[in-house]
Amino acid sequence: MTNLFHPYYITQEAEMTQPLDYNRRSRLKHVDQVFRSEIINVIPLTDMEKLFQLRILDEAERERFSFLPGQFVMVEVPGYGEIPISISSSPSHKGYIELCIRKAGVVTSILHKANRGAVVGLRGPFGTHFPIEKMRRNNILLIAGGLGLAPLRAPILNVIENRTDFKDVHILYGTRQSDMLLFSYQYEEWNRIADINLRVIVEQADPTWTGSVGLITDLLKEMRIEPMQTYAIICGPPVMFKFVCAHLQQEGIPMDRMFVSLERRMHCGMGKCCRCNIGSTYTCLSGPVFDYWTVMNLKEAI
Amino acid sequence: MLFKILSKEEFRNFIDFLLKDTEVIAPKQINVNADGKAIYQFLPVQNFEEIRLDYETTDYSAKTYFLPYKEDLSSCSFLGTIWDREIKYRIQPRAIVGLHACDINALLKLDKVLAGDRFPSPYYISRRKNTFIVGIDHDPCEGGFCQSVGADVVTHGFDLYLTDLGDRYFAAINSNRGFNALQQVKTREPTARDNNDYLEVRRRIASQFKPLEVHNLPNLMDIEFESKVWKKWADKCMSCGSCAMVCPTCYCYGVEERITMNNAKSAKIKQLYSCQFLDFATVAGGLNFRPDRETRLKYRYYHQHRGFVEAYEEPLCVGCYRCGRVCLADINPPDIIQDLQTEYQE
Amino acid sequence: MKYLGIKPKRPKIAVFDFTGCEGCELQLVNKEETVIDFLGSVDVINFREISSTISNDFEVAFIEGAITRDDEINRLNEIREQAKVLIALGSCACFGGVNRLKNAYDFKKANQEVYGKQHKETLPARAVKEIIAVDLQIPGCPVDKPEVERIVQHLVWDVPYQFPAYPVCFECKQQYTTCVFELGQLCLGPVTQGGCRAPCPVGGSGCWGCRGPAADPHLKEFLQIADEREFSRKEINERLSFYSGFEGML
Repeated sequence: MTNLFHPYYITQEAEMTQPLDYNRRSRLKHVDQVFRSEIINVIPLTDMEKLFQLRILDEAERERFSFLPGQFVMVEVPGYGEIPISISSSPSHKGYIELCIRKAGVVTSILHKANRGAVVGLRGPFGTHFPIEKMRRNNILLIAGGLGLAPLRAPILNVIENRTDFKDVHILYGTRQSDMLLFSYQYEEWNRIADINLRVIVEQADPTWTGSVGLITDLLKEMRIEPMQTYAIICGPPVMFKFVCAHLQQEGIPMDRMFVSLERRMHCGMGKCCRCNIGSTYTCLSGPVFDYWTVMNLKEAI
Repeated sequence: MLFKILSKEEFRNFIDFLLKDTEVIAPKQINVNADGKAIYQFLPVQNFEEIRLDYETTDYSAKTYFLPYKEDLSSCSFLGTIWDREIKYRIQPRAIVGLHACDINALLKLDKVLAGDRFPSPYYISRRKNTFIVGIDHDPCEGGFCQSVGADVVTHGFDLYLTDLGDRYFAAINSNRGFNALQQVKTREPTARDNNDYLEVRRRIASQFKPLEVHNLPNLMDIEFESKVWKKWADKCMSCGSCAMVCPTCYCYGVEERITMNNAKSAKIKQLYSCQFLDFATVAGGLNFRPDRETRLKYRYYHQHRGFVEAYEEPLCVGCYRCGRVCLADINPPDIIQDLQTEYQE
Repeated sequence: MKYLGIKPKRPKIAVFDFTGCEGCELQLVNKEETVIDFLGSVDVINFREISSTISNDFEVAFIEGAITRDDEINRLNEIREQAKVLIALGSCACFGGVNRLKNAYDFKKANQEVYGKQHKETLPARAVKEIIAVDLQIPGCPVDKPEVERIVQHLVWDVPYQFPAYPVCFECKQQYTTCVFELGQLCLGPVTQGGCRAPCPVGGSGCWGCRGPAADPHLKEFLQIADEREFSRKEINERLSFYSGFEGML
C-alpha cells in the first residue's frame, strides 16, 4: 500500500450525479449549483421596486422546479452576490417565477440595471409555505403591509386560481403613501372577480388618492370575522403584523390559524450560515412562514 | 472497537509512514507567550520531531481543515452574454494527528449540522472523509470544562485514538483504514495489564476536572433571558469576533462574490463569520435585528447552550475554553454560566 | 457586465496630491497583475504620477494628503466644485494622518527644526472632510490596493460600496496569527476598521490604527484591557493618535 487511503471522490456519489432538484432536500447534491434563468420581462412597480419575470433556461430543469406559495429562492447575480427573495407568482407555472425586488443593496442595485435577456442564477425553492391546503372550506384573510404584498401575492394568486375551494376571501393591503402601492395595475382585476373583497388603504393620502386613509387595522375593525372558520395570512413589517395579529386574536382567531412570513438576512438558504437565525431557529428551514403561535414563542422574533 | 498496543518507537515509524505520501497536520510549537508559556498550533509538519503530542492546547482549533476561514464555493466564467459555473471540492487526503477528545467531539457536532440529512454540504463532507484522524488522550487543559459538557471522552469520529501508557500507546481503532494503516507497523494485542493501565490513565484524567454546574442550563437560559448578567458581560465585548474564529464548532458564515479586474471570471467566496460582528443580522435596507452587543453576545450563548440542545440533545460547546483564552476582555463560558446560576439562586 | 446587458460606466478620474508622501498614489499603479485592467476600466484624465495629460473635466477626484496650507484649501474647493464624487485616499486625507502629529507642537519651533532658516507657511494639519464634503473615505497607510480596486469596480458599476463591519482582528485570526497581546505587545486591532488583511499584526508589530475606528468601536473597554496589561496611558494614547483616526474619540 503506497497511499494511506484512497481519496474519496464525492462527485462520484450516485446522488451527486442526479439532476439538480432542491425539492429533493434530504440528499447529497451540489448545493451551490444554480438554475440558470433568464429575465423575460422587467416591470417597474414604483420608484423602488421592480417585478422580474424569470424563466429557467433548461427545459428539463424547468420541469423539475416547483414551489409552494410562501417559499423563497436565492437569486444570484454572478460576480455580485446572492440574496433571498420570496416568490411573488402563482405556483402553477412550472419553471417560471416572478420576483418583486426593492433596490436596497449591491445585488438589487445591479439587478435594477439589468435588462431583459440577462441570465441570473436561482437556487431553491427553500423554506416553508403558507398551508393553503389546510385552509380549504374556510374564510381567508390575506393581509399585506408595504413590501409584504410581494410574498402575499403568491397565495393571493393561488387562492384566486382555486377560488371554489374557499368561502369568503378578503384581501387587505396598506402602505404609507399611495405611490408605494405595489401591483396597483392588478387591483381592478382582483376586484372584478365576484366574491373577492379587496380593500386598499394608505396612511398619508396625497391629493390624487381617492381611497381609504388610515391604518390596516382600521380595515379590520369594519369587518365581521367568524373566528373558527377563518385563516389569516399576514405579510409586512413586524410592527404591522404584530398589531394585525393582536387584533385578530381579539376577534378570536387562534394563533395557529394566522401565518406570517419573516424577513432575515440569509447567505445560504439551507440552514448552514446562521445569518437568519432567530435564537437558534433557522428562518430558512423552519420559516420564512411561521404560524403566529411559533413566532410568539421565538425570542427576539419581533 | 478494536484495540492494539504499539510502542513509542513504532508510533514514530507510523508517523514516518504517514508522512511518506500524505499531508500531516499536527500540534507544533510556534512561539512562547509573554509569560514564557509555549504556544501551539495545528500546522503541517515535515518530520516526527516537529510534532508535540504533549501540547496542552492550541490557540486555534483544527476546524479550519474542514471549514476553512476562507473558501471558494464556485467560480463563474463570463462568456459574452452567458456564464458558466465551476465547482470544485477538496479531495487531497490529509491526516491530522494529535486531536484531543474535545476537538473530535466538535467534529461530530459539525457532522450533525453539515453532514446531516438536510442539505448536507459536499464541501465539508469531502474534506471530512478525506481526513485521517488520530486522536490522543491528555490531562485537562487550563480552563477547559469539556467534562461538564460531555466532551471529554469520544467513542467515534476518528480513525485511531491513542492513550499514552508511558512506554507505549493504547490505540483504539475505529475505522477500516485505521486498521489497515496500523498494519504498516508492529502492534500487539492488549494484555490484561495494558487494559488496566489504560483504565487507570482514563480515571486519572477524569478525576482532574473541576466540575462546572450546567444542570438544566437550557431551561435556566430561557428563564434568564432578560437577566442583567448579559449586559454585564456584553459591556466588555469589543465585538472583535475572535471567540467564533478560534471556536472548534462555530460554523456561521457569509458569502460574497468578487469579479476579476478584467471582468473575465468571478468567485463566490465563503468566509466563516462571527455573530458578534455588528452587521451579522443586518438585512438589506439597513434593519439590524441585533444592533447591540448584549443581544449579540446572548445570541452566541443561546445558540451554543440552548438552541443546539433543542435541535440535537447536546450543547454545541465542547468546553475547550479557547474562546475564554483568546478574549482580551476575559469573557468566558464558565464565568457567564456561573453568573447565571448565581443569579437564578438569588 | 455583458451578460446583464449593462454597459459599464467609464468614470473620468483625476488624482490630486496635497500634504502627504504620495505613497497612496503609488498604490494606484501598484499590483502588476491587474494594473492594466484597473487603469483600463476608467478614464484617467489627470494623474501626475503616470500621465502628462492634464484635463479638468473629471468626474471622480481622488484626494491624497492632509490639508496644511492656505493655497491647498483654494485648490481643494475648486476640485470639489468639479467632482461628482470626491474620495479621500489614505489616512492623511481621511484623518490628517501622521501630519497631524505636528498640531501638538509649537509651529515656530517645529518649523525651525525641520526647515531651519527657510521658514514655511503652515496651518494645523486637517483632514479633507474638515474643509469640504467628502463622498467616500478610503483609509490606510498606505491604502490597500485590492480594496481600492473593489471600490473602483463599484464606481464603474454605479452601485454602493460597503466597508466591512469587522475590526482588524477578524482577518488577523483568519491567518492563524498569534495575538500580539499574547506576546506582550500593544495592538489596535480590536478597535480598528478591518479590510486591510491585517498585515501589521500578522507581521508581528501590532496594529497602529491607520484605517481609523471600526464600526461601533469599544474604546472604553479597549483602554481597560490595555491598562490591565500595564501599557502606560502615554503609550496607548500615542498609538491611538499616531494616524489621528481616533481624533475626538479619546
